Amino acid sequence: MTLVKEAPARPARKRPAAPAAGRRGRRRENLAGYLFMSPWIAGFLLLTAGPMIASLYYAFTSYNLFTPPKWVGLDNFTTMFQDPRWQKSVEVTLKYVVVATPLKLLLALGVALLLAQSRRGQGLYRAAFYMPSLIGASVSVGFVWRALFSDDAIVDRGQKVFGIDVGGWIGNPDYILYALVALSIWQFGAPMVIFLAGLKQVPRELYEAAEVDGAGPFRRFWNITLPMISPVLFFNVLLESIHAFQVFGSAYVVSDTRCGPADATLVYTCYLYQKGFKEAQMGFASAMAWTLVVAVGLVTAVLFWSQKKWVHYEEAAK
Amino acid sequence: MTSATTPAVRTAKERRRLGSLAWHAGALAVLAVVLYPVVWVIGASFKPSKDIIASLDLLPTEPVWSNFSGLADGISGISIGSFFWNSLMYAVLAVVGVVVSSSLTAYAFAKIGFAGRNLLFTLMIGTLLLPYHVLLIPQYVLFRNLELTDTLVPLVAGKFLATEAFFVFLMVQFMRGLPRELDEAAKLDGCGHLRTYWSIVLPLSRPAIITSAIFTFINAWNDFMGPLIYLNTPEKYTVSLGLMMFRDQEGVSNYGSMIAMSLVALVPVIAFFMAFQRYLIDGMATSGLKG
Amino acid sequence: MGTSRNVERRTILKVAGASAATLGLGATTACGGDSGSGDGTVTLRYAWWGGEPRTIAIKKTIDLFEKKYPKIKIKPEFTDYEAFWEKFQTQASGGNPPDVFQNAVGFLRKYDKRGVLMDLKPQADAGNLSLENFRNGVLANGQVDGKQIAIPVGANTMALVIDLKAFKKAGVEPEFGWTWDEYFEALQTIQDKLKIAGDTGYFAIMYLYDLYLRQNGKAFFTDSDLGFTEDDLTQWWEDGYKRVRSGLVADPKKVEQVKPKSALSAGLAASEFTWDNFSIRYEGEGESDYGLAPIPTTDGKATGQYLGSLMLSAFSGTKHPKEVAQFIDFMVHDPEVGKIMGYDRGILATSEQYDAFTPTDDNNKGVKAYEEEVAEAGVLGKITPHPSGADVVESAFLRLGGEVAQGKTKPADAAKALFSEAKAAFAG
Repeated sequence: MTLVKEAPARPARKRPAAPAAGRRGRRRENLAGYLFMSPWIAGFLLLTAGPMIASLYYAFTSYNLFTPPKWVGLDNFTTMFQDPRWQKSVEVTLKYVVVATPLKLLLALGVALLLAQSRRGQGLYRAAFYMPSLIGASVSVGFVWRALFSDDAIVDRGQKVFGIDVGGWIGNPDYILYALVALSIWQFGAPMVIFLAGLKQVPRELYEAAEVDGAGPFRRFWNITLPMISPVLFFNVLLESIHAFQVFGSAYVVSDTRCGPADATLVYTCYLYQKGFKEAQMGFASAMAWTLVVAVGLVTAVLFWSQKKWVHYEEAAK
Repeated sequence: MTSATTPAVRTAKERRRLGSLAWHAGALAVLAVVLYPVVWVIGASFKPSKDIIASLDLLPTEPVWSNFSGLADGISGISIGSFFWNSLMYAVLAVVGVVVSSSLTAYAFAKIGFAGRNLLFTLMIGTLLLPYHVLLIPQYVLFRNLELTDTLVPLVAGKFLATEAFFVFLMVQFMRGLPRELDEAAKLDGCGHLRTYWSIVLPLSRPAIITSAIFTFINAWNDFMGPLIYLNTPEKYTVSLGLMMFRDQEGVSNYGSMIAMSLVALVPVIAFFMAFQRYLIDGMATSGLKG
Repeated sequence: MGTSRNVERRTILKVAGASAATLGLGATTACGGDSGSGDGTVTLRYAWWGGEPRTIAIKKTIDLFEKKYPKIKIKPEFTDYEAFWEKFQTQASGGNPPDVFQNAVGFLRKYDKRGVLMDLKPQADAGNLSLENFRNGVLANGQVDGKQIAIPVGANTMALVIDLKAFKKAGVEPEFGWTWDEYFEALQTIQDKLKIAGDTGYFAIMYLYDLYLRQNGKAFFTDSDLGFTEDDLTQWWEDGYKRVRSGLVADPKKVEQVKPKSALSAGLAASEFTWDNFSIRYEGEGESDYGLAPIPTTDGKATGQYLGSLMLSAFSGTKHPKEVAQFIDFMVHDPEVGKIMGYDRGILATSEQYDAFTPTDDNNKGVKAYEEEVAEAGVLGKITPHPSGADVVESAFLRLGGEVAQGKTKPADAAKALFSEAKAAFAG
């Protein structure tokens, strides 16, 4: 729960909300607080809370943008759950999340462990590895990816060396999703940087003590490193999986806007976009959006619940 | 790994050298894979269109400039420069919006003890985890009804209203780390919150602000879904949409120029990164650590 | 009332209206963003889809128009087909579509139903737009329920585009009235002799299946529904998939990946069905020579063809109906415009433009010769209706056909899915 609760609680503990000045002072603090907060409050009401309520309402209507929404009860949800394309988009998204996130984090952790050793050029490597995280979401890289995974391009030729010829990943419904997975893994730099920062916080004495006890590198990793960086690991798992659920741009560009072939890259948001902005079924699309909110909420809740079992908040890590 | 093949008699120095060699070999291998797409796009933009996919050579045997000169006459009569200008406007407005609104909000969270602060903070963190797509349709309907589609307003409104929770969070963390003695001293001097914010906290928060500004710039530059949904007139397109327009207007006949423009579109981001990588990486690291 | 107060009130109303409408409480009342300025100059938004050659040609015709009508300014908007209709839909829903736009048969009823399209007959009666001199009765393509909601700029028909070199090398000669069996035999010969596929995926093209159905006394659409059965379509797709498996139809994986280039110009197959005016693109994309061949038949005679049209429509809520009508009139009747556009959007629809343009290159000549041949053969029938939602069905047909080709969906399941998606589309 650190992410949500501890952060605001900490300073509050250190500093009582109302200083000695008394009620007038407190009122002034309140006024100042809300004045400073006013852009956020306006944004929250207008662009977050309001729209959330609106889309919750749309989810129970038939709304084609032209005529006012018409209440249809649970129709959107029943149609949606039976819709083979919706099922397909769930399948594609889950596959993407479940394959891309662990691989990306594994690579990020591995490289972070490598870079945590102080050696010459370490800073340069760190910077270079981080760069893809900044450009990975661009249309440019989408185009590059489409080219790299085409028939006769580098990946395909590399595969043929091993006698596997799938004719390029881009046109093949069994492979194209893995081109997207590769694009996600390529951006391992962002979680890596966070891992690195976590690794730097692990007290060296712990390792020294373990070495004296005769623990090998694997034992040291398992018994010291992993527990010590578990809060950072938790943070990375949480953010990366939530992001993975929402992937859109790369699927749209790499599949040449169709999220195909044969719906192979029909990630959840792509279907939502098609339903909403192509077919103007805004009610259906809103029902989809809310289902996504609930799903992401569940994943978040499960992660928070599970962290009790594996995340260690040592005083030293803070 | 090494110990299995190492003969029993091996000096510590040799072992260290071997370790260093393995380290660099590993790091270089990762580097090669990471940089390959970037080097590829540089090489490809100097190749004739028909060689781009088929040729395995990373760099062209004989570099051609035609892909870049092809950019000069624009796409269907619209100059490439206008896409870059529009993206720049979008990015700059976004940066201004995020810096102003997020720092104000962060100041309130970090330095003012107002009633309901913890609740609002929880809500703010909640929006960080909220899938953006649930807001997409109602926001579209809202801006459409305000007749604000095909302008930058829908794209930057949220930035001015501190809806970018990540940056608020980043700044809150940073401001909390500032020595409390400073703002207490300011209070004793009779400074109100506005003065404290402006003359003490804001200047001291420079690193967090720079980090947020650069991230905002890059995110706006890369943004695709926002412009895709809100912009209609080709003259108003950002670079992302310009690239997509290149694809549908000349993607077949002028593939080389499309790749060249992809490269040009990446340049600002990469330049920013090279200039400010410390801020970006430290910013990223803090966000994860203090969470 | 002072101007400033007016503005203020309007803004407030807008904000109030917007928040109400966000919750779906209010209907949309927004109006077109275009306006006239003090000196009487009027700006019209004109939108179309298409590639760069079309864009460049249209921009030239706009210059011509602005010279003749200095008081009317045209603001162009263009993109590809898919993006065009996405944008159009969202803009139209907000009461802010372009004043004039390119349109196609499959969209007429949908947007007529939503009240977006202007009936141009009153403008014709007022003398702002001439409905005379349209060739071969194509003007009817833009009529729905007695209203003239679109004006054709061209006439086109489905054709078989062939790689001339490949056909010649294989010694195959397409002939008018050849049957589907003869066509597939020809493809087999090509496959045997040249080791390339014959076709690029005919069975996912809705407008070709329409012709096949018309040859058999049916049609793809009735007034409000599909004009065939699930079994019909299952059969059509099963045959198609068989031909993919045997290599007669190009490998869909390769077809998919050369997009947006066509598989024919990429050399993956020797022929492709498409609209005859599209055939112009192949020469620019591919390395071979391309020509137009007749549509295969069922009975040795009827091809099921008809003349379709790309058209211009106007927004019913435009603030400048007269100028819009004048603009459309200029675009469909002016001989100079005809010379500039050529057959890019089909054979020019009016006799003024048709007479003004003499094709000089092989492509345009080929298109002209083809339509003349088709007309002479007397196979042209009447266009069948396209109910509201036809556009959604067309893209579903293409997508599901692609899934069948990839072996990802069984023909029977795909046919079932098409029927259920069509049902939703007609209802929407």
